[in-house]
Amino acid sequence: VNASAAPNVDFLPEQPKVLLVDDDEVNLLLTSVALRERGFTITEATSGETAIRILADWLPDVVVLDALMPGLDGFQTCRELRVLPGFESLPVLMLTGLDDDASITRACEAGATDFFVKSTQWSLLAGRLRYLLRASRTRVELERSKSRLARAQDLARMGSFDWKRGGGGPVFSAEGLRVFGLGPSDPLDFRSLLRMLPDEQRGAFVELLHDAMANSTILATDLSAKLIDGRQRIVHIEAEPEFNEHGTLVGYTGIVQDVTDRRMAEDRIRHLANFDTLTGLPNRRQLIWRAERALEQGRRLNHQVALLLIDLDRFKVINDTLGHGAGDELLMEVSRRLRSCVRHSDQVLESSLESMGSRSHRSLEAVGRLGGDEFVALLPEVVDERDAERVASRILDLMREPIIVMGQECFVTASVGIALFPRDGTNVVDLLRNSDVAMYSVKSAGRNAASLYHPMLAGQGREKIELESALHKAIERHELVLHYQPKVDVRAARMVGVEALMRWRRNGVLVPPGDFIPLAEETGLITPLSEWAIREAARQARVWQDNFGFSESIAVNLPSRLFERTDLVEYIHNAVTTYGVPHHAIELEITETGLMKDLQNVIPSLHRLNEIGVEISIDDFGTGYSSLAYLTTLPISELKIDRGFIRDLGMTPQSSAVVTAIIALARSLGLRVVAEGVENLRQMEVLHRLGCGIMQGFLFSRPQPAEDIEKWLQQTELPKVAPWIGDAGDAELPEARRPTRARAPRAPSGG
Amino acid sequence: MLNLRASRRRFAAVGNGVSSPPSGARAVSALTLPSAGSVLDVEALQRLAELDPTGANRLLERVFQAFEASALRLLPQMHEAFRAANHPGVRHVVHTLKSSSASIGAVQLSHLCAEIESMIRLETYDGLADRIGRMDRETNAVLQALKQIRGVEK
Repeated sequence: VNASAAPNVDFLPEQPKVLLVDDDEVNLLLTSVALRERGFTITEATSGETAIRILADWLPDVVVLDALMPGLDGFQTCRELRVLPGFESLPVLMLTGLDDDASITRACEAGATDFFVKSTQWSLLAGRLRYLLRASRTRVELERSKSRLARAQDLARMGSFDWKRGGGGPVFSAEGLRVFGLGPSDPLDFRSLLRMLPDEQRGAFVELLHDAMANSTILATDLSAKLIDGRQRIVHIEAEPEFNEHGTLVGYTGIVQDVTDRRMAEDRIRHLANFDTLTGLPNRRQLIWRAERALEQGRRLNHQVALLLIDLDRFKVINDTLGHGAGDELLMEVSRRLRSCVRHSDQVLESSLESMGSRSHRSLEAVGRLGGDEFVALLPEVVDERDAERVASRILDLMREPIIVMGQECFVTASVGIALFPRDGTNVVDLLRNSDVAMYSVKSAGRNAASLYHPMLAGQGREKIELESALHKAIERHELVLHYQPKVDVRAARMVGVEALMRWRRNGVLVPPGDFIPLAEETGLITPLSEWAIREAARQARVWQDNFGFSESIAVNLPSRLFERTDLVEYIHNAVTTYGVPHHAIELEITETGLMKDLQNVIPSLHRLNEIGVEISIDDFGTGYSSLAYLTTLPISELKIDRGFIRDLGMTPQSSAVVTAIIALARSLGLRVVAEGVENLRQMEVLHRLGCGIMQGFLFSRPQPAEDIEKWLQQTELPKVAPWIGDAGDAELPEARRPTRARAPRAPSGG
Repeated sequence: MLNLRASRRRFAAVGNGVSSPPSGARAVSALTLPSAGSVLDVEALQRLAELDPTGANRLLERVFQAFEASALRLLPQMHEAFRAANHPGVRHVVHTLKSSSASIGAVQLSHLCAEIESMIRLETYDGLADRIGRMDRETNAVLQALKQIRGVEK
């Protein structure tokens, strides 16, 4: 063997350091020369004592000891160096005589790694030394890897064990014992392991072991063990069968691991994934899962399942006025109440129900939170719809009790929609949608009630949902437009203002206001819609002011709830300021019904608006039940006679009586009066005769886009060519011809 | 200076009238040594010489010196131990000389040492004195041969 030529010793030190100990100087000299020749670095010592001295502060790669020496002989030297720190596994080669069996045995006992019969065949010695070094290196690596494994197992709270068939109980590594809270020398036999398990798990585990052994299969299971120190841990056991050369199972080898933390984290994750964090109720995902299982069972056992969709009625108001904290508090209380209405089960259910017996679907029963103020009660088995209605009425009853939120009593009602499997749907999606439809029907019928789903409700409901979702996006998509209808002073034959009417251009089609304004009011979308209308009207006033000196008002319809907003005045102020038009460029119309409904809340706003110059007009006047006493004190400027009276004008005497009364009332209160919905000359003449000079209606102009209003002015008003011009105002024509514009009128555009 | 080439020459020079080429590989194998039979074994010496092929380490010289020093130190020790019936002391000397004599090719001496060592180990002391006398003589013969070799060089 030649060191430099042997590729398999690459990993050895280039020149292994050898301590050579021999009292025979000739042999010492020859051996060291021979080994140097073969690539070793030699340090010589002529006695055991010298060797020990040298080793006190130097660590060779290998020690070669002559066995027989005066003083400390090789055996003693070996013993002494073995107890030096760091020399436990240093390779030591003992040189003995050829026929010296006793020395060979003693060498072993003294802790020598190997022996070698003295010879002058140096290559053999060098080869033996290299082998020793390799073996030692391998051993060091093995030790290192063993300690790394132990460390890794320790970190992973894992240990190993072996079990030999017929060889007693399992034998655990030190790390394995630690998993069970035991020290490295504590005994752990099978019996004491079983004692750690809860009674109900013990039998099952023994059975599992028998099965695994009978079938020679892998063993893998989790045990919940109560350790001797009292800690409760979950221990994962996983083991593989071992076979002998005949293929007979001889035992198992495997690991044990403390997976308590992991299991707890998994449980937590599972809980987060399945339960609503605010209320602790099952969330949408868990509810749907439960509902699906309930339907499976219902299908199998042929019974009905009920889904109750519960939506709180005034939740948004509470959230908006008292804040989200209050809203959350309220939702938690509502959850507590709802929970008491059913046999609520909090169990996280994800596994199959088959193992739980035929009544297992009972454990699916729960109230869950779909999100926001929407809850669902799942009744996994109902005899008929009355069962579900009973639960619904219990829910409504419980809601009637006031809820204390932030020290304030709140009254919250709920609207409940009920859908039954299989009658109202055979899958969860259909049932949810149909319970939603039923719930919506309760809402539109005045809330605070429960309703069963009925197919008649469906068409309506779905369309509405789609409409609502589209309306949400209408503003940002610029789908809303204002159309304008002139208010005309008939005698003067001139436009004295316009009313702005909202239109929704959805997918290229104009949606009539009647189809989306009620929905907008119901959903609260009316607020952003109205705000947009105010800004848009202010903008248009500016455009017209620039184009033809428009100085009248654009009337915007506002729902009464907008007047309740304290920032309405500020909002209008900002809008007109932005476009540089005066405050009176915006006039607000509120319906008589709306005004009277929220009178107390609306009055402060009306005063402030009036103060900054924004005039208020009462729309649809005559249809509500106005308190005339209030009317005298309200800061309003205009009454608009409801189109219903105008339509019948000249046909029934009652209608002209009402119109006459309104005109008289307005005149005595010093209010402007406007007749709406004037469609023909007869109506115009009657109104004129009764003393109403300002009118609005198809007779003059339909509501039209802003640009068309300009054209209309150019083609109708300025040239005074229209069927209605001249009829009513014949007597005072000169006044009607009076120029009304500050700016020079444009030339008529022919026609 | 003593190197392989020189050594070969010397072995030839002390040859007992045996003709041998003055140099070359075969010269050594053909060589016989003075004293009765072979005091020093040629092949053993040759292996020694191979340890220092260029002679740069003066290996043979150092080995011979070491043997001389060792033998001169150990022989009196042995006689003393023998007189005092200190058998382990005797045994130690013969054990040491057994291997060092083998190293320099003193085959006969090495055999004698081994014989004595074995007798002592087996505690059969009959004829031990005779063996020790022979060993003493053989050692002196080896030392004589070495002196001759080294003397030639001087």
